[in-house]
Amino acid sequence: MFRKTRAAAIAAAAATALVLSACGGDSDTGSTGDGGEAGGDPIPVGIIADLTGATGDVGGPYNAGMLAYVEHLNANGGINGRELKAISNDYAYEVPRAEELYNQYVNDGVVAIQGWGTGDTEALSGSVANDELPFMSASYAEPLTDPEDAPYNFVVAPTYSDQIRVALNWINEDSGGSAEVAVLHHDSPFGNAPVADGQAWVEEKGYDLGYKAYPMPGGQPNYVGLLSQAQAQGAKYVIIQNVAPPAAQVAKDIQAQGLDMTIVCLNWCANELFISLAGEDVAEGHVLIQPITPMITEQPGHESIREYMEEKGMDESDVSVSWVAGWATMDVMAQGIAKALESGDELTGASIREALESMGPIDVGGLIGGGDVEFSAESHRGSASTGIYRAEGGQMVEIQGGVTP
Amino acid sequence: MAATATGIHHRSYTSELRLRATRSEYFRLALLAVVLLVVPFALGNYWLSIVNTIFIAVIGAVGLNILVGYTGQISLGQGGFLAVGAYSSAILSDRIGVPVPLSILFAVALTAVVGTFFGLPGLRLKGLYLAIATLASQQIIEFIIRRDYGGVLTQGKGYINVDRLEFLGFKIGARAVFEQQWYWILMPLAVLVVLAARNIFRTGLGRSFMAVRDQDIAAEAIGVNLTRAKLTAFAVSSGFVGLAGALTAHYSEVVTWEKFTLEVSILYLAMIIVGGLGSVAGAVYGAVFMTLLPVLIRNVANAVEGSVPFLADQLPAIQNAAFGAIIIAFLIFEPRGLDRIWQRMKDYIRFWPFRY
Repeated sequence: MFRKTRAAAIAAAAATALVLSACGGDSDTGSTGDGGEAGGDPIPVGIIADLTGATGDVGGPYNAGMLAYVEHLNANGGINGRELKAISNDYAYEVPRAEELYNQYVNDGVVAIQGWGTGDTEALSGSVANDELPFMSASYAEPLTDPEDAPYNFVVAPTYSDQIRVALNWINEDSGGSAEVAVLHHDSPFGNAPVADGQAWVEEKGYDLGYKAYPMPGGQPNYVGLLSQAQAQGAKYVIIQNVAPPAAQVAKDIQAQGLDMTIVCLNWCANELFISLAGEDVAEGHVLIQPITPMITEQPGHESIREYMEEKGMDESDVSVSWVAGWATMDVMAQGIAKALESGDELTGASIREALESMGPIDVGGLIGGGDVEFSAESHRGSASTGIYRAEGGQMVEIQGGVTP
Repeated sequence: MAATATGIHHRSYTSELRLRATRSEYFRLALLAVVLLVVPFALGNYWLSIVNTIFIAVIGAVGLNILVGYTGQISLGQGGFLAVGAYSSAILSDRIGVPVPLSILFAVALTAVVGTFFGLPGLRLKGLYLAIATLASQQIIEFIIRRDYGGVLTQGKGYINVDRLEFLGFKIGARAVFEQQWYWILMPLAVLVVLAARNIFRTGLGRSFMAVRDQDIAAEAIGVNLTRAKLTAFAVSSGFVGLAGALTAHYSEVVTWEKFTLEVSILYLAMIIVGGLGSVAGAVYGAVFMTLLPVLIRNVANAVEGSVPFLADQLPAIQNAAFGAIIIAFLIFEPRGLDRIWQRMKDYIRFWPFRY
């Protein structure tokens, strides 16, 4: 009897759960920028964030930067008196969850989406095109810049391909014109993205650089095996297209093996996290290609961030480049929305796209590549310039700013 | 058929083979039909999108249950087979221009072939060893779609954008009607798949699958051709899974490798374990339950965010934990899953106030 009633109880609970979930409806809030006062309805923007997933270590600050920007904007009058309402939810870097969140946001009537990784950006590029919702994310893959392929995707920063071109130019100069380069990359479309373009660049420029790509297998305790292959190649430079933890491991392995190699990190390993994970001494001297300008470079755009930090009593160390990236990306989107509102059309995804494409240079105070961001109907490549930094004394020290390939 | 209701006797083989014998069974069927017809008009787009995902999950889970639940061949290769269906249908329809229904049919056939190929080790391996062999198939397929050497699959982009479904001049409309139109495509397909699967197990072929599961040596002794039964099970199962994969491609309009990882394989296994191994209805219940569970948890977490912010902050972790806890709970309390629970509820009501 007991077993039966228990089973019935479980089943009843399950049934109630199903019914409840069906009634639950669209009460979803997530973390939001504060709701509206005067000047019209708040403008909803959906954020698909990775807070706890595989890339949460940089995704968390990126999301925080976005929400901070929205808070700052709303505190200073919003957009033409209308507040921006950011709806942010964690998708833990899992594409099916991103798709589900996307459906929810569409249902909530958002006018634009802020995504995060390569996986969700690619998975949603078709849907955002069909639903006419501008989509920005922290995935800077080259195919997304072509409006023919991805009409509603906007890439605010230089693509991974542009970054590897800058890296190769720098290596060519630094080595005096002849060196072997090993490209260690994440074993995925994200990692593969710049590999072929880098090879083509070496050939196009006629550089005397040896170029060999090595996919980095996941779940490795170290990369000594990979490095011995690179050593056999004679590599003096190691370009890494991966996130910070494995890149830091490579730096440690280079140190431990006593190899004479300089790491050139692209974008997602070119941050404070790489330096702190590898340790100040180990990271010393390695080169970082990072399009987002860190706080210590003191661009004009950093002033409003400082204002916000003072208000909140935040420390400089709380604001990493990923945080700034989130802030700057939301800034670009907000300026697009402002322009669309100005034009007097109804505020839709299509009118924001139109505004972003036609508004000319977008001033982000030098936060991205040290210059402006600009889109056109022919190209959604927002910027091609990036900064080159060197890890010195635990800091990112600028070697060159605003470099284009 | 643990207990037949009193007063039901079969006077012919046909009557015994019938799927439904009692009036209440017909009544429930009618009720379900009404619900299925009303749902697209009663639910908003967001919930319809979840219902549509459920239909695709139902197709995949029924397919997997044919292999795992009915034939007893454990498979960790579900994600890979879904990928074969998705990539082949997307490439055929968008790049080569084959009409979508044909491309889906071809995807089904191709997945069946690939599934049969990876089923070959099943002739020599059983249980955990076979699980590892199918894990290899998952890894191989994932490796191919992830690396995509030479850009054969995605033309170097890393993903395939699939055009909005169009057939004989009919094209799925914009977001406002998108989910509803897909509902009318996916619902009948899911119903067809369920019916087909139900009927397979009334044939000699289906019975030979079950004989292989229960005792393969005895099955061979009574004349079941083991090789044929196992390979056919792989083919039939993969065919269904390929259909689910192809529909995923056209419904979500993009194909990326990240949708077909090992996690997906495990999710589907969880569906049929929670629903009930070796039961078509169980696969359906499991698919519904496992698709709704994370959504439900998120809605609850967001609803109580004000009072328990911890829940919303740690949402994905909590979803994973709940996922694991539920599977363990089912394995302990009712290894035969939701389907068995439903049976017991019916029995309880039918025999009330007696125990049996």
